[in-house]
Amino acid sequence: MLRLERQPVTGAVELRGLTKSFGDVRAVDDVSAVAVPGEVTAFLGPNGAGKTTTLRMLLGLVAPSSGTATFNGRRYDELQDPVRQVGAVLEASGCHPGRTALDHLRVLATAARLPKDAPERVLAETGLAADARRRVGEFSLGMRQRLGLAAAMLGDPAVLVLDEPTNGLDPEGVRWLRGYVRRLADEGRTVLVSSHALSEVEQTADHVLVIVKGRLVRSSSLAALRAEAGVGSRVRTPDPDRLCAALDTAGHTYRRTDEGLAVDATPEQVGELAAAHGVVLHGLVGTADLEQAFFRLIQESDPAERLASAEGALQ
Amino acid sequence: MKALVHSELLKLRSTRTTAGLLLATLALEALTVTVSVPEAGAENPPVSLDDPSLLAVAVGNSFGVPLVLMVLLGGIAFTQEFRYGTATPTYLVEPRRTRVLVAKWLSQALSSVVITTATLALSVTFAIALIRSRDGDATTGAQFWQMVAAGFAVMAAYGVIGVAIGALVRNQIAAVVGVLVWMLAVEQIVIPAYPAVGRWMPGAATWALLQIGPSISLDGKLLSASAGGVVLVGYTAAAVALALLVTPKRDVL
Repeated sequence: MLRLERQPVTGAVELRGLTKSFGDVRAVDDVSAVAVPGEVTAFLGPNGAGKTTTLRMLLGLVAPSSGTATFNGRRYDELQDPVRQVGAVLEASGCHPGRTALDHLRVLATAARLPKDAPERVLAETGLAADARRRVGEFSLGMRQRLGLAAAMLGDPAVLVLDEPTNGLDPEGVRWLRGYVRRLADEGRTVLVSSHALSEVEQTADHVLVIVKGRLVRSSSLAALRAEAGVGSRVRTPDPDRLCAALDTAGHTYRRTDEGLAVDATPEQVGELAAAHGVVLHGLVGTADLEQAFFRLIQESDPAERLASAEGALQ
Repeated sequence: MKALVHSELLKLRSTRTTAGLLLATLALEALTVTVSVPEAGAENPPVSLDDPSLLAVAVGNSFGVPLVLMVLLGGIAFTQEFRYGTATPTYLVEPRRTRVLVAKWLSQALSSVVITTATLALSVTFAIALIRSRDGDATTGAQFWQMVAAGFAVMAAYGVIGVAIGALVRNQIAAVVGVLVWMLAVEQIVIPAYPAVGRWMPGAATWALLQIGPSISLDGKLLSASAGGVVLVGYTAAAVALALLVTPKRDVL
């Protein structure tokens, strides 16, 4: 388990030794972490790393094999009027396609004994006021995500849990979401948002939790991660196999991309290595990429993730 | 709990599924009444036109399709939460899942009152008109009123059982197909063919309670109405107990 530099605070989301096994598979393995009010905490990891399972345990939908997940020290099912305290978006498809957006929210607001005007309020807040009486089946994926957010905001909660909220959003929607999430944190709410790509949360997150193969491998501020992000290079060459062999010999790690290679070494190092081995280069640029630091973290934690997940996460 | 029941009733009202199923049921129900009332001059009908129990039997018979409707509505009330992923927001609003289950049961029981009233209004009106047009006996004796009371009870029970089936099976297609195969094939074949075993099935207990044995050539082969009622209560209680046991423990993925 990783030692965390931050202490639990009032209003915080706290995971302690959270573990979930499905048969022999440990989907989540002894995860301990904290998300605090006023901050956007990004929960990062490749697909299948255990992010969703962790969030579902936090929200009482999946029973942990061991460990606890709490809000202000209480389990989700122990909360009084949970939707007034915690809002969550877990999947875009969480609504009946034959129901109108307004009725979907009314169903939830009625069950939660919220004020009658709550559905209209959150529809306006998420830019869906004009579509209130349309059936959800006619909605685009992006509109469904907004509706999910609207549902999460019904109870005006102090804590927000968002699972891959940018999935299906167009670039304009992503930009809107970033602003919205940032504003919610600035209002003093605790925001925990999962993503498979660091680039998606780079502009909004304050704190980063990285999970790989069910284990929390990193908990640090985004600033700290950025400071550590080393310099890398992107290389184009007609003879990648020979360059790879040279990089292997020199002990540099790399991954193949659509354009060529992404190497964890400075352009000077790569250029000199290519010259020494007589490899022709068509392009060589330096990168100082946070995303690359994230990939390195994933690779170090699980070498098998190297190609599969890192490439997936790039998309 | 009141808020949860209101929410469940709103779920039922806010999609077209309920209304569509109800309309289809009423159409099929009218058809059932038509075949239950014998033609004037028909030879050896199960219940003759001048039998004073004809109205009770014809209307009792017409519960066949509405009962399927109630199980399906109950089943869909739960399975569609999993089919469309609404189980997640539902449980986020009320993480104590047994309360969600109870709210679904109550809402189905309440809906069953409305649906039973609608189906009875149609079947009674239609049956009386049909019997009178054939100069038959359309009197409403004690058996008629017993059948009406039994109708309200079994419709509620089937709604409750439907919810329990949905909670246990969760896969909508499996639940719907399973219910249809059981009610429209298995029971229809097994009960007449092997009444000694078949009369203990939920369908046979229901027919006994509705006292429609004579009209389906099972006169004397079914349990008594009161025994049928006890058996049906047993099945309902078992379904409720199983659903209460399983639902809180299952992961919602």
